[in-house]
Amino acid sequence: MATTGRRQFLGGLLAAGLLPKPTWADVGTPAFLAAAATPNGRFALCGIDAALNLLFKLPLPARGHAAAGHPIRPEAVAFARRPGTFAIVIDCRSGQETARLQSPDGRHFYGHGVFSADGSMLYTTENNFEAGRGCIGVWDVANGYKRISEWDSGGVGPHELRRLPLSDILVVANGGIDTHPDSGRSKLNIATMQPNLSYIDQGRLIDRAELPPEMHKNSIRHLAVSTHGIIAFGMQWQGGNPAPAMVGTHRLNSDIRLIQAPASEQRPLQGYIGSIAIADDGSEIAVTSPPGGVVQRYDTKNATLRDTKLIKDASGIATGQDDFVISSGTGLLTRLNAPSKQEIANRELIWDNHLVRLV
Amino acid sequence: MKQIILFAALCLLPLSAQAQSLVSDALTKHILPRFEALAENAETLSKTANSACSPESKALQHAYGAAFDTWIAASHLRLGPTEVDDRAFALSFWPDGRGATPKALSQLINDADPIAQTPDAYRDMSIAARGLYALEFLLYDNALMQAGDSAYHCRLIRTISADIAHTSEAILLDWQNRYMDVLLHPRAEGPYQSQKEVVKALFNTLNTGLEFTADTRLGRPLGTFERPRPTRAEVWRSGRSARHVILSLASLRDLAMVLASEYPALAARLDHQFATAIDQVTDLNDPVFASVNVPQSRLKVEILQQTIQGIRSSVTNELGPSLGVTAGFNALDGD
Repeated sequence: MATTGRRQFLGGLLAAGLLPKPTWADVGTPAFLAAAATPNGRFALCGIDAALNLLFKLPLPARGHAAAGHPIRPEAVAFARRPGTFAIVIDCRSGQETARLQSPDGRHFYGHGVFSADGSMLYTTENNFEAGRGCIGVWDVANGYKRISEWDSGGVGPHELRRLPLSDILVVANGGIDTHPDSGRSKLNIATMQPNLSYIDQGRLIDRAELPPEMHKNSIRHLAVSTHGIIAFGMQWQGGNPAPAMVGTHRLNSDIRLIQAPASEQRPLQGYIGSIAIADDGSEIAVTSPPGGVVQRYDTKNATLRDTKLIKDASGIATGQDDFVISSGTGLLTRLNAPSKQEIANRELIWDNHLVRLV
Repeated sequence: MKQIILFAALCLLPLSAQAQSLVSDALTKHILPRFEALAENAETLSKTANSACSPESKALQHAYGAAFDTWIAASHLRLGPTEVDDRAFALSFWPDGRGATPKALSQLINDADPIAQTPDAYRDMSIAARGLYALEFLLYDNALMQAGDSAYHCRLIRTISADIAHTSEAILLDWQNRYMDVLLHPRAEGPYQSQKEVVKALFNTLNTGLEFTADTRLGRPLGTFERPRPTRAEVWRSGRSARHVILSLASLRDLAMVLASEYPALAARLDHQFATAIDQVTDLNDPVFASVNVPQSRLKVEILQQTIQGIRSSVTNELGPSLGVTAGFNALDGD
């Protein structure tokens, strides 16, 4: 009787399509994804848990940049470094490639992407390089990551994009720098660049924030979003010395607020921010500078620097449970509050650019 | 034996003293002579334009070429004075993938815009219509060299030439009066805090100069195998594309020799690599890289590009570590 009942129950689940589906718990519940290089010159996508243990290391065919994790399934998309033309969808249980995204003719990826809230769509930042315009590729996840649409990114050279909390409104860092794959990463328009922060709702530009004119050479590149929708952005200064500001915050339909630190506090960043993270409650922002070999933490409310920590080639940063987590090109994976030098670098994995938090 | 002793003595020099003599050499042997030559030739260009403003004038063409030569030899030195008020861009707005320069010039000429009446007023003009690349259109572009009223055309050439002279002089004075000292005496409140930071900045100009020549001067005309882009070559209208590659390589070679002066074996290797690249571009015998359209000759341009990328590898992997200015895995990626 009991057996029959269970069978009927399972049958009912199957019919309703409710059989337990794979989740991130199946791969040990990683908290972060990161691309890495290995000492033998190979590349991998790694899953890392909240205690900073390595959960999985899956091979990538080329150097990665950032990744996007599906909100439900243990599925990750790894993006090639700019100006790559492919991204790989990986089943993190098996390590198998389950789909490959190829950018359409005349487009290349910028290395970042984000899933919609329900995981049915993937959005990617791309360069329409003949037109010199940024665009957002829209990919249908259920349909084998078929490209179904393309939106204007609201500017030139979009780099990182994020989703506002509990919505599918995208916020895009249009870095403003025009490049063309024929000339590699050469910057073609520094003199006239116009970076911005654009908010896009299903292809429609609903807000755009710009820097004051004298800061037009400050490329807005990297983004982080708090639970309540504060956007923190990190910049890369393309002008002469010194950089006027490196970090700012914004909210939909309001004005940009810049963290105006004295030159002595900004100098360690060397005009360059590699990644940014914001505490869930929005109270603190932390940024990495790989050329400066530093991590800086700011108080959001007062827009002031809190502390600077030296970490060689620090690049990836993400918000952890109650601390920021940092990854570096020397193989270090650590917490910002950890005593210096306590955590030993892992020489087997050199962390590449970004540390992506899984929700 | 003598050399070994000398080498040992050099190794014993305090690092800061070594760095200081390197910076001083870079200034007196490389940087200042280039900006002096630029200011002088730009002044000659402006004077020549005042006496002969026809695009057909051999004297004007010659003065234009000489001023451009000296700019190309200095163009990698993108720090300090060139970055104030967009001076470098005001001299050289290129590449211009969207055709902003011919658009802006056509509009000026069509409107006979009075902004071109004086160099002072012209300084507010969009940088796309200023500098040596804009002047190339007025002197060598089939349409723009004869567009509009000839008196206005003449005025525009004179004004742009005077503007170039003014900018070049401003860069030189800024180097002499301010920035030379900034490099020689790094201090806490200055843009550089240590000699090492200055060496790193000089090293970066070498690295980005090589990158620009390989990726932009050659990469733009190369395009892709399926779609070569010869008309994206730099200043092809005046037939100067390959010349710019040679001039930039010669100047970057000079800087590399200054930076590598303490490392004779490395200096010799770099010198050989530069010589190979210059031979390769000379042997192309193709002033505007028209041959990128033809598979066989295209290959030679690709090989030249690879040779320059090879120099860059040596600079990044050998010279950088020798000077103690190595960039990390992520710092090097820069994205």
